[in-house]
Amino acid sequence: MAPPLFLQAIEDTGFSTWLRESESPFAFYFILLFHTFGLALLVGANVVVDLRLLGVARAIPLAPLQRLFRPMWAGFTINAVTGILLVIAYPTKSLTNLDFYIKLALIGIALWVMQRLNKRVFGDPALSEEEMISRGARLAKWSLILWFGAITAGRLLAYTYKYLTYPS
Amino acid sequence: MGSLMNFPELHLLLNHFPIIGTIIGLGLFVISLGGKSQDLRRASLIIFSAMALLALPVFFSGPGAEGAIKKLPGVSEALIERHHGAAMLALLFMEMTGALSLVELWKSHEGPRAAHWNWNLSAVLLLSIVTAGLMARVGNTGGDIRHPEIGVRNADGAETTTISRIVRRFEPSADGFAELMTTSKWWWAFMMDMHFVGLAVLIGTVGMLDLRMLGFARQIPIAALHGLIPWAMAGFALNLVTGVLAFTGMSQYYTYDWAFWFKMLAILLLGLNVAAFYLTGAFESVESMGPGENAPLLAKLIAGSSLLLWIAVITLGRYIQPYSDTITVHK
Repeated sequence: MAPPLFLQAIEDTGFSTWLRESESPFAFYFILLFHTFGLALLVGANVVVDLRLLGVARAIPLAPLQRLFRPMWAGFTINAVTGILLVIAYPTKSLTNLDFYIKLALIGIALWVMQRLNKRVFGDPALSEEEMISRGARLAKWSLILWFGAITAGRLLAYTYKYLTYPS
Repeated sequence: MGSLMNFPELHLLLNHFPIIGTIIGLGLFVISLGGKSQDLRRASLIIFSAMALLALPVFFSGPGAEGAIKKLPGVSEALIERHHGAAMLALLFMEMTGALSLVELWKSHEGPRAAHWNWNLSAVLLLSIVTAGLMARVGNTGGDIRHPEIGVRNADGAETTTISRIVRRFEPSADGFAELMTTSKWWWAFMMDMHFVGLAVLIGTVGMLDLRMLGFARQIPIAALHGLIPWAMAGFALNLVTGVLAFTGMSQYYTYDWAFWFKMLAILLLGLNVAAFYLTGAFESVESMGPGENAPLLAKLIAGSSLLLWIAVITLGRYIQPYSDTITVHK
């Protein structure tokens, strides 16, 4: 069964072709680079908050770590934009791969956990550090697992695709 | 001059440092045991860590040097293979020595309890002795390739002494090892995955410390964030291991790639950056700071250059693929 035709239509657009085939330094690998920067911001900041909630570097006061949610969302925004561009460059490759949907699902759940952490743990200034940790430790553990899974699913996209471009 | 990168020259220029450095470090370490000198011990641990970093470009320049000379008359491929295997085993022990030295340096920062003799120091002593011996062998087997005047034992690469025969048994075959790394697509995918996981942990923790020194989230005392450093070291260790394994698996692919070499250069500069942070008083100046305090200019410069260099490492790492095969070499 051939993949849906709209994938071919996206691939045939000038923009998609440019992203995929251009020798310009601002084409595919530039976008991939910013996807990696976004990953470092988003997951890196999450790792710091999660590790602290799980008992690493206890000297760090918890409340000011709420500042880290901004770089997290900045990283996510970069990756949402660059991610869409990467899909436009290779729509058949990503959208016909089950792993791609697993990655999206993992990111979706990880973002939900991230928001719960922001609201339940950091959102109430009246909470003591003990209360913050008792509320946040489980979420932090899941956050680490989910981001690990999202990175893994993302890396595996390079090894699991069925079509690189629309089959002719 | 068709050559932009002379690998034999680079290899010969760099290769003496880790060999001699390890021996000097070991000497200082042994003296520090007798004299109970904390400073001397610290100096030797710093040297071991620095040599572990410097050994990387030496190792990485090997396949390029091999490519440049293996077709020359009188050069025995068997001797090169023996040298390659010896270098792989020595690198393993060098990196373990460096890693445990860093752990020890971290512990001595944390408190005076680590000043006492402990299992970790015994391990550093043992590993550095083995490393010095293996490094000497790497030097000897390397010298045999191109210096027949000092007396090549055997051009076919056979061992002549009992001890070298025993050591040889533990040395991997470079080709066999490379095949092992690339046989399974899933093993390769796993290594690359771990390289990205290490990246996230490393950049997250180091980046947080750097940003705080630059003025972000000033309510957090810098000394508190410094507690994240063991995780940064763990992330770096993960990426060093997966990076070296990837290189050994596809050395021809990385060797002739500019981006790879500039990435290596950026990592060496980051080593200097870490040294500047801990050895110029910058660390002491920020360690005593409470919440809300602003870091001095020197600490800011070090933090800023660290961030820029890590961005360079990621950027160059990502460009290893598209710009491969761009180094002109004379073959």
